[in-house]
Amino acid sequence: MNAGRISAARFALALGLLAGVLGLASCGGGSSSSGGTSTPVNNTQAVQVNLGPANNLANGLFTDVTVCVPGTTNCQTISNIQVDTGSEGLRILSSQISLSLPQITDSSSNALQECVSFADGSYVWGPVVAADIQLAGEKAASNPIQIISVTPPPFPVPADCASGGGPSQNSVAALGANGILGIGVWQQDCGFACTSSSSQLPPVYYLCPSSFCQIASVPLNTQLQNPVWTFSRDNNGVLITLPTVPADGAPSASGSLIFGIGTQTDNALGSAQVYTTDLNGNFQTTFSNNVAYTSYIDSGSNGIFFLDPTTLGIPNCTDNPSFYCPASTATYTATNKGANGTTGAVSFSIANADALFNANGGTNAAFNDLGGENSGAFDWGMPFFFGRSVFVGIENMTGPNSVVGPYWAY
Amino acid sequence: MKTALTVVLGLLLSTAPAWAVLGEYESSVSSDQQYLHGEVRAMVREGYSLHQITAANRTVVKEYISPAGLVFGISWQGPTMPNLQQLLGSHFAQFQQASQSQTRRRGPLVLRTDKLVVESGGHMRFFHGRAYVPSLFPPNVPVEVVQ
Repeated sequence: MNAGRISAARFALALGLLAGVLGLASCGGGSSSSGGTSTPVNNTQAVQVNLGPANNLANGLFTDVTVCVPGTTNCQTISNIQVDTGSEGLRILSSQISLSLPQITDSSSNALQECVSFADGSYVWGPVVAADIQLAGEKAASNPIQIISVTPPPFPVPADCASGGGPSQNSVAALGANGILGIGVWQQDCGFACTSSSSQLPPVYYLCPSSFCQIASVPLNTQLQNPVWTFSRDNNGVLITLPTVPADGAPSASGSLIFGIGTQTDNALGSAQVYTTDLNGNFQTTFSNNVAYTSYIDSGSNGIFFLDPTTLGIPNCTDNPSFYCPASTATYTATNKGANGTTGAVSFSIANADALFNANGGTNAAFNDLGGENSGAFDWGMPFFFGRSVFVGIENMTGPNSVVGPYWAY
Repeated sequence: MKTALTVVLGLLLSTAPAWAVLGEYESSVSSDQQYLHGEVRAMVREGYSLHQITAANRTVVKEYISPAGLVFGISWQGPTMPNLQQLLGSHFAQFQQASQSQTRRRGPLVLRTDKLVVESGGHMRFFHGRAYVPSLFPPNVPVEVVQ
């Protein structure tokens, strides 16, 4: 597009607003303050897999999040926020939040807005505001978060934001949640791709001087943060634990989102193997066809998405053609390999998704054997999490045995 | 590698064409001059040619061109989603329809018809995908080359 770019320098004021907290977290980066005599705080947040607030999302992983006007006790707890290891940052539907949170602006008072395009072509659009985020006993002070605009947005959606072609996830029904809590392996959602001052800037952050918006260069600490690394402790990653579920699924499954890795007695790595990632946050999965695929673990994906019907010899479903429907449950083994050379086999099953969605009167939500095609990469979605303890190691943060993120461990 | 000839143009295409559009002629690239300024490598492979464009932000777009000059496939990988409207051209509407109708599945999008295949996946800071038109493939070139 021909819109001019707005430089990072103009963010002096916004940086001043956020520097106190983000700067502090930055100074402590890498040392998770697990030692010493500091009293451990509650680092365990309850999570649950269920159909979600729109009653329509299989394998949605949800939690409650409390947000506050920065530095105050003026807070609101929002339920049914989807926990997503495939993204970074907190995003809440405007219809679900009544607090008035301060808009982040540049020094000319232009409002910062964000467009996030997802791989399936859908997108979210809305203003970036500042909030204190409380999760269990942990606090992320004055974090930039996104308010997903429910129609009509304060500024019209830029054309290059909607270029993915898909729907705007601007309702509970479309999003399947009241918001998204992104706690993946990165510290920020966009990173250096959005800090450039060149014409290479992607259509992610925008400043809106008037009725139209221009793509903006935004420094790392004004971008949406993975809130975990901005905690004052238990900040080097998270652990997600979920129970096993029956082969035909369960209406719900309750587990824990535990902050920190090796920082308290409840988040030790134990026997978990560490798989470090490449620069893109990926490791490698070799399937039984001896082909190695780029792979990642994503709680925001509701199935294991891999290969294709022809190669596997199983059909897509009739009623739900984006999922696999083997005549009888198929069992597979794949081998994961980290950038650090760690290897390990993973066994998993793929059941008939049409049957899964109809089981128990259609009320089941938690499935460990839901899958679909995806020949470009191996996407270990929610089924991977059941019956496991999965650690997410955040980039540049040091974990047990001096391992530095980004990494996965399980 | 089947590279018979590799020509590194090494151009910073600030005003030159960026990439072609799926299903159109290679010469259609002038429709897209501003989107991705990067280094272009043109490679000749067995039965087709390949233009690989690498932008400074690490986005890589590959265009697969038949001997007749038609773009039969496109792939992408980068830290943000590319402009699929630009890449897919007249095929964008089909992708859009597939995206609008993907409700129960949360994850990578796969559109597979006899006339068009589009796969789009990834996670934040890593988006990848490919699109191709089966009927435009040159003889004896397998679909696997587009990746």
